[in-house]
Amino acid sequence: MDEMTVTGSPRTAGVLPGIILLAIAGYFGFVVALAQYYGAALSFGLPTGAQAGIAALLGVAGALYFLIADDVRSAPKFAFGLIGLGVVCFLVGSYYGLFVAPPESYMGEVQRIMYVHVPSAWNAMLGLTFAFICAIVFLFRPSWAWDARLEGSIEVSVLLAFLLCCQGAIWAKPTWGVWWDWDPRLTTTAVLLFAFVGILALRRFVEDPMKRGVWSSVATIIAYVDVPIVYFSVKWWNSLHQQPSNPGTVSKQFYLPLRMNAFAILFIMTGFIMLRARIAALRLEQELAPPPVSDAEAGETVEAIGEAI
Amino acid sequence: MNGVVTGGWGFVWAAYSLTAAALLLYGVTLITRLREERSRVARERETQ
Repeated sequence: MDEMTVTGSPRTAGVLPGIILLAIAGYFGFVVALAQYYGAALSFGLPTGAQAGIAALLGVAGALYFLIADDVRSAPKFAFGLIGLGVVCFLVGSYYGLFVAPPESYMGEVQRIMYVHVPSAWNAMLGLTFAFICAIVFLFRPSWAWDARLEGSIEVSVLLAFLLCCQGAIWAKPTWGVWWDWDPRLTTTAVLLFAFVGILALRRFVEDPMKRGVWSSVATIIAYVDVPIVYFSVKWWNSLHQQPSNPGTVSKQFYLPLRMNAFAILFIMTGFIMLRARIAALRLEQELAPPPVSDAEAGETVEAIGEAI
Repeated sequence: MNGVVTGGWGFVWAAYSLTAAALLLYGVTLITRLREERSRVARERETQ
């Protein structure tokens, strides 16, 4: 187990690779789409599918780099930077989603909910995937920093999964006529949400840090099995929920707000996990610290040592 | 009835407002909790 200290010398991980990965991802993710709105071609001739693929891969890689390179002890300036960038992207993406993008042919204005619903879904799954990675690393290479990252990623992903369910219910009412339906996609998502809420509750109830880390890691690995089930539920079973979209099935006019908000929530989620992991690390440090020795106890110890000598 | 959803801006605003409010509130609680933990650690260091 590595030592958890706040005032020690934190590992200064270079963040440049993470910044480069996120910059390239952002370029192909929304800068190219933004330029297209105004008639400029900045895609280097790459087809839309390739742009989306590069943006998704490098965006995920950049976020994971920040989360893994972050030592949960240094000042959280990069976390605040990512959150600030995410807020700006969210404001711009929501402006385009609400006021610039046209309404969809059948769902009309209600389809605009997609620009917050789908990014929440993608990032909730990504956050839980990071929690899964943390759980595996903690079990095979125990380190309190990974336990702190596990707690942070689960809590932030639960928030996104909760928002996902609420946004979905708000979208379902005008399109399906009901707030909720026990459809495979909705049911498996609800199971996922409650499973990870249960893991957070487990972490609150178990006092021993080692037992807490191991039990919640094992529970995370088991609960994560539901993530691919959520994704494939619309393919495996008859579902009211639509099939997953891809660049070939989404109109060009809908790209920009969707991708911009996806990156916005990715940046915000990454920053939130980095902050939340710091809170968990500070609490762990307090739990793992040796109990303070009073002056009387110290005196008795000295006398006992003297007698023994 | 032609299968096209009409209106619905209220639902759209509800979804966006809920998302923005939840993220904002959670962010504020994170900053508050981080400050509390840091000041608690600092207090404990002083008493030791």
